[in-house]
Amino acid sequence: MDFIFFLQDLINGVLMGLIYGLVALGLTLIFGVLKVINFAHGSFIMVGMFVAYWAVSLTGLHPYLALALVVPTMFIFGYFTQDLLIKPVFRAERDVREPTTVIIVTTGMWYILDNLALLIFGPDYRALSPNPLKGQMIELGQLFISVPKLWGALASVATAVGLFLFLSKTRLGRAVRATSLDREAAGLMGINQWKIYNIAFGLGTAVAGIAGVALTPFNNVYPTVGIPFDVKSFVIVVLGGLGSIPGALIGGVIIGLIESLGPIFMTSTWTEAIVYGLFLLVLFVRPTGLFGQKFDW
Amino acid sequence: MQRDTFKKYSLAALVALAFAFPLVVSNPTYVHILIMLYLFAYMTTCWNVVGGFAGVLPLGHSVFVGIGAYTSTVLWLQYGISPWLGMLVGGVIAAAVGYLIGKPTLKMRGAYFALSTMAFVEGVRVIVENVDKIGPFKLNGPRGLNIAPLPPEAAGFWSFQFDSKEPYYYIILIMLIAMVALTRFLSRSKLGYCLYAGGEEPEAAQALGVNVTRYKIIAMIISSFSIALAGTFLAQLTLFIYPKSVLTLDLSFELAFIALIGGRGSIAGPIIGSFLLRPVGEFSRIYLADSLPGMHLIIYGVILIVVMLYQPRGLTEPLTRLFDRLLDRLFGKETPPNGKPSAGNSSSSRSASTEVTSS
Repeated sequence: MDFIFFLQDLINGVLMGLIYGLVALGLTLIFGVLKVINFAHGSFIMVGMFVAYWAVSLTGLHPYLALALVVPTMFIFGYFTQDLLIKPVFRAERDVREPTTVIIVTTGMWYILDNLALLIFGPDYRALSPNPLKGQMIELGQLFISVPKLWGALASVATAVGLFLFLSKTRLGRAVRATSLDREAAGLMGINQWKIYNIAFGLGTAVAGIAGVALTPFNNVYPTVGIPFDVKSFVIVVLGGLGSIPGALIGGVIIGLIESLGPIFMTSTWTEAIVYGLFLLVLFVRPTGLFGQKFDW
Repeated sequence: MQRDTFKKYSLAALVALAFAFPLVVSNPTYVHILIMLYLFAYMTTCWNVVGGFAGVLPLGHSVFVGIGAYTSTVLWLQYGISPWLGMLVGGVIAAAVGYLIGKPTLKMRGAYFALSTMAFVEGVRVIVENVDKIGPFKLNGPRGLNIAPLPPEAAGFWSFQFDSKEPYYYIILIMLIAMVALTRFLSRSKLGYCLYAGGEEPEAAQALGVNVTRYKIIAMIISSFSIALAGTFLAQLTLFIYPKSVLTLDLSFELAFIALIGGRGSIAGPIIGSFLLRPVGEFSRIYLADSLPGMHLIIYGVILIVVMLYQPRGLTEPLTRLFDRLLDRLFGKETPPNGKPSAGNSSSSRSASTEVTSS
């Protein structure tokens, strides 16, 4: 009987962990290419959730159909954010390998987006109203698997595989990787690095949108919903290695497992401390994270 | 020569004005606002020692503020030790923690360093919120520590409690001036030059035999010690501390913002940043928070982005240029005195050096 509970927690941990991985995927993609930590990532997820929420509330469509609206919207949003706000600062710091001023710009965006949402929509917690997925469970003997979380976990794996294929198989993906390795050399090979940056940022934002859609059916939507995901994704990407796609998923699963299995052994507030402790431990022992590349960026 | 004397006199006038302020204005609200401005200028100056000079982005300095605040408060409440002594003890503990956290993290690349300091402050906050006592020391978890206000006749220097705002005003003003003087001294010392070099071109500095990490650690120790003193001051000023007031990311972020808006790595930057950014935040919060919730933070964010877009090196540089132009008006164009390069402030000389390297 105890084993069943353990198994249940294990399954929940893996599913939620994969969703955390999906949340962190956009962050790691943007970092991998631009070497910028996007502090507004949580806000991007919040924006994605609000777009999904309104798309579903106004049209009454199935929540996952909102993807068709969210992904292009978020891609365009990210594309122009990078083009209009981040690129100018980036240009000014071109010779700096790790632009830190950009962090301030993205933090400013975080403040603006979260509070704009607060100003427009108010602080209320909103639950998706026509929600066909609400409380749906798959029963496997004594085990229960939440359907929206299962779909979210599948979306996570699918997005990771999709990104991997895009980066390794397509011409554009190879250009993105070339730019991430050495932007000067890539520029000399005729790649327009600023365009690649725009596309990479747009992609990262679109992935944040996918995460938003995956979260909406079982998570309330409110202006500050992104903040816990923000800090969590930082921990995840450093655990897995900044810029690594499989690292994000595995880092996410580690965090998910700590959060779901931790309360068996200790009070649940302590699991948070364990997460940060593990984070620092990994940083000290293996600063590049579990899957981070050693090469010099 | 005339020009330099004018600069010296204007600086002296500014300091004299600061000292005379509470004598002229007795409204405690205004005095309090200035105390907070000085406090933030002080904390940012401390931050600047490592965040500005060393070219890394620490986002966890509220840990040291928290250590300072908690140490002196615990010592005062449980053992009756004067906060002045507690202040020093807190500073020493913070310096030790700064060393311990800096030794592994300062070797890292900037992004990892920023994130690990962030995780550190979050981790410490979670722990403090979840324990009622560490060993014999009561921390009271999320409820925080309340310093019982003493009756006016018992309050005084020893207990670091005063029945009026003026003593606090002078204490923080003197702390600020001392810290600025220390920063100025550091920026012209070997430590300062090594930090600049390590911040701009770490590889080149290493190649020249500068142990960049070691100097960064020294800077971290100085920074964490001095910022912890501000923690004690804050605790004695508000007489109430709790994890969310002294151990938050918000505070850490605000210090970084002030430094970057003012101009990181320059001596006047933190002061200018604090005097520009804090009032904007405060007044927009006071006047807009009720009618338009969140508006003040939107304004804050817009200012951050606009300044970073148009003055990525902070506002000290254009202000210095403006001041120089004013001096040109008054005393005629500056001629380099007998071949010696004019001693501009560190931020302008710093940007000049980057322009040379980038071109």
